[in-house]
Amino acid sequence: MLDLLANGLVNIAQWKYLLPLFAGTFVGVIGGSLPGVTITMTVIVVLPFTYGLDPLAGLAAMTGVYVGGSTGGLIAACLLGIPGSPASIATTFDGFPMARNGEPGRAIWLGVWASVWGGLIGAMFLVFLTGPLAAIALEFGPWEYFSLFVLAMAMVAGLSEASLLKGLISTAIGLLISMIGHDPIGSVPRFTFGSEFLGGGFPFLPVLIGVFAFAQIMTDLEKLDLPRGKVVESLAGIRLERFSHLKANREIFRQPFLLAWSTIVGLFIGILPAIGGSASSVMAYDQAKKFSKTPERFGKGHPEGIIASEASNNANVSGSLMTIMAFGIPGDAVTAVMLGAMTIHGIQSGPLFISQNPDIAYGIYAAYILAHPFMLLICVVLMPLMLRVITVRMAVLAPVVLVLCVLGAYALNNTMQSVYVLLLFGVVGYVLVKLGFPLAPLILGLILGDQIEINLVRAMMTDADPWLFLTRPISGGLLLAAALSVALAIWQHLRHQNRVAEEGPDF
Amino acid sequence: MARTFVTVAGIAALTGVLAALSAPAMAQYPDRPIKMIVPWAAGGDTDNIFRPFAVEFQKHIGQPVVIANVGGASGTTGAREARNAAPDGYTVYAVHDYIHLTFFAGISDVKYSDFEPICLVAATPSVLTASAKTPWKTWQELTADAKKRPGEITVGATLGSTSHIFPAMVEKAAGLKFKYVSYDGLAPRMNALLGGHINLTDSNLTQKGKVEAGLLRFIAIASEKRDPESPDVPTLKELGMDIVYEVARGLMVPKGTPAPVRAKLEEGCAKASREPSFAQAMKLQGTRVAFLNASDYAKFLARIDNENKAVMTDLGLIKK
Amino acid sequence: MSIGRDGIAGLILLAISLVLLVKSFQLPSIPIVPVGPGFYPAIVLSFMAVASALLVVQDLLKRRAPASAGASDAPRRNYRLVVIAFAVVGAYVVLLPLLGFRVATALFVGTLQAALGRPRTAQQWMVLAAIALGTAAASYFVFERYLLVLLPRGTWTGF
Repeated sequence: MLDLLANGLVNIAQWKYLLPLFAGTFVGVIGGSLPGVTITMTVIVVLPFTYGLDPLAGLAAMTGVYVGGSTGGLIAACLLGIPGSPASIATTFDGFPMARNGEPGRAIWLGVWASVWGGLIGAMFLVFLTGPLAAIALEFGPWEYFSLFVLAMAMVAGLSEASLLKGLISTAIGLLISMIGHDPIGSVPRFTFGSEFLGGGFPFLPVLIGVFAFAQIMTDLEKLDLPRGKVVESLAGIRLERFSHLKANREIFRQPFLLAWSTIVGLFIGILPAIGGSASSVMAYDQAKKFSKTPERFGKGHPEGIIASEASNNANVSGSLMTIMAFGIPGDAVTAVMLGAMTIHGIQSGPLFISQNPDIAYGIYAAYILAHPFMLLICVVLMPLMLRVITVRMAVLAPVVLVLCVLGAYALNNTMQSVYVLLLFGVVGYVLVKLGFPLAPLILGLILGDQIEINLVRAMMTDADPWLFLTRPISGGLLLAAALSVALAIWQHLRHQNRVAEEGPDF
Repeated sequence: MARTFVTVAGIAALTGVLAALSAPAMAQYPDRPIKMIVPWAAGGDTDNIFRPFAVEFQKHIGQPVVIANVGGASGTTGAREARNAAPDGYTVYAVHDYIHLTFFAGISDVKYSDFEPICLVAATPSVLTASAKTPWKTWQELTADAKKRPGEITVGATLGSTSHIFPAMVEKAAGLKFKYVSYDGLAPRMNALLGGHINLTDSNLTQKGKVEAGLLRFIAIASEKRDPESPDVPTLKELGMDIVYEVARGLMVPKGTPAPVRAKLEEGCAKASREPSFAQAMKLQGTRVAFLNASDYAKFLARIDNENKAVMTDLGLIKK
Repeated sequence: MSIGRDGIAGLILLAISLVLLVKSFQLPSIPIVPVGPGFYPAIVLSFMAVASALLVVQDLLKRRAPASAGASDAPRRNYRLVVIAFAVVGAYVVLLPLLGFRVATALFVGTLQAALGRPRTAQQWMVLAAIALGTAAASYFVFERYLLVLLPRGTWTGF
């Protein structure tokens, strides 16, 4: 295995891979650091460039974006108090106060180094555990897959902040979108109303790009002419004080347990299908606070909070990569795009992926590992640039990002149809956001829709007995967990409602 | 200062691009890149066969050949786009037997006769493949077991496509009864076969590595003769069934493409398919180079169309 | 008792799911497959119908604080820009196959930038034009020349 990894590292150390990896990491750090540009959006922007590349080169670029983005978010989080990407949300809790206390450099470099170590520890799990996980995945029949998908949807709907009901409806809308076109078993036209446009169905990437990118950009435009000068001004004066890297590392390794536990929390959340970096950052922060000897210092610029959040969100990346490589199921929207890119290159992710494409699998491991020193290098060298980048005007950024979205949709299969789908779902996504429906469950429903149906029908075709879903132990366990997670969400919402009672309209 | 420079440079660059690209056309065919529509995802069997072919093809045609993977709706999206393209020879369509099947199954309104044939390029023989978790080592053991429990042997197949038709032909010839489970595409079928979630499926010689590793078993191959690379696999003909089933892949252009253009394409195709490097690439795909010129390919298409119609009628899958 | 935004959304979704539910029962079945193409949609749509109905009920039951009009709505939001942006993107998508990628993209980037933040000085206009032309030219070069993606040609311009 180590020799395969060494091969992977040697393989990736060619210009045709190093260059996309470096470029991806760079774009990731920049995209992550821009408030309002999420990692998902950055990977969407990079997507069209990967169509024409060698598959590994494309995946290396995306892995770089993922790693870079998970770190880049902390810059805005510490300096502006706005997470640059959702994955660094918990970094704001202590990073911003610390910067306010006159230690912005300490906040940022602690975060960067925690990211590096969290990511690299995560890499060990990625390299050694993906294989065994794939072996388990191979034993999954259609029943187990079906139940796993149901569990994923139940968990994501339960996590949605606004309301469980809206989360569930969102999931159903996602599933519905995936049904339109032709049924995946016999290609019978379904819900097409005789139109050729609907008959083509809604390919998943254009819908995802539309829903995510448009909803995000348009929501940002709403606030465009609000005074932003204040932010820029406050930043203009910022100079990072000198903070030695050695000192940052010493501070991190003084508490090895904190680092290890945050990493494991991030990794575990990453492995769970469809739950992304923001959940792991918040969860790790929460855990760090619980285990800390000085919980009262959290929220006031405590280094432990920054370390926990940043170590976990980079470890989350390795967990998500494990899930797409072993099960062929996306761990979140970013890996969903990566999975889409793999499909375009005809690489079937799933239990056989590692054994059938060892070059690509170990290439991804190597890319993931190498992305960390790259990210560190970029942060160290380009920090002054980054301080300026995070204030780029949306008016300049939005049109260029939209062009790349259109390109990404068009180049998918070289037809305008995908671009029309993109626009349609841009509008749909925006309206849903305005109505308070969370988008993450919709995307998950959309990604898993076909697979749920296929596995359901496969199970029925293999054996007519529907009780097998419950009586096969793994499948039954997964369904039980799904039921429990919905029950838990309902219980939490009720408790929450009683406490908050009336708080006026929730727009 | 820097900003002005960027502006000027940008404008200069753009003017250059526009001038370079808007040069008047209309010289001898072909004078610009040719788009080859592959109606499936990149990296699939069809893509793997046409990519090395395009490399040789553009050498002989004298213009770049750009592959456009237009996937979706069982290959129908690409078929429609190819049919609706301008018949000027700048769009060629890489096709395989699915065009007959999707039409008869009522999935698609595109028929093979909407196009002009150019040439047949390659043919991939189907191989009946069993999971290593089944007890069967040979065809005889398989039939003995299958006769005992009709309707219980599970076969993974893309319903209504080649991987369904082939086992169905075997089923009929041997007097067996299989149970079909929908698994679209070779890779998911291999996953299911390895996990033992299905018993049998149609695959091809690209899966040889897994057979040698003992993960699955080739039962029989549907070619005329045994394959020199896998001499242990018996042909269905030896086993007493008159079945030769190969997935045939060729090139077509929209109806109405001028004859001289077609002749030029046919000539390029003939030369490309004779290249030794193409033959080498096809060996890796478990495929044989099977060139047929336009008129022979037309006859071949008509024959295959009738055969497929008969099989689909037998299976009760026919809609048109 | 009055209906709010959630209630209306719920009613629309309920209507959609009921219409499609009826449709899903009309889908033909396929030979060999034990459950037809309408089986799974029916499950999902029933679920969606129930959830939407619950959303309507929840909305009707919610005691609304007499919201003193939307005007006081905390951060002021500029919906005008959103509408304009959608319109410009819409126009871009329509014009893309007519004008061709290069022309349409340059126009789009320029227009949208101007719409989002009108440049005031000649120099700002130059920067805007440079970004517009640069985006079109750079993306064209990278995609068509280097990544071998054939971008749309204009049917009007042939370019």
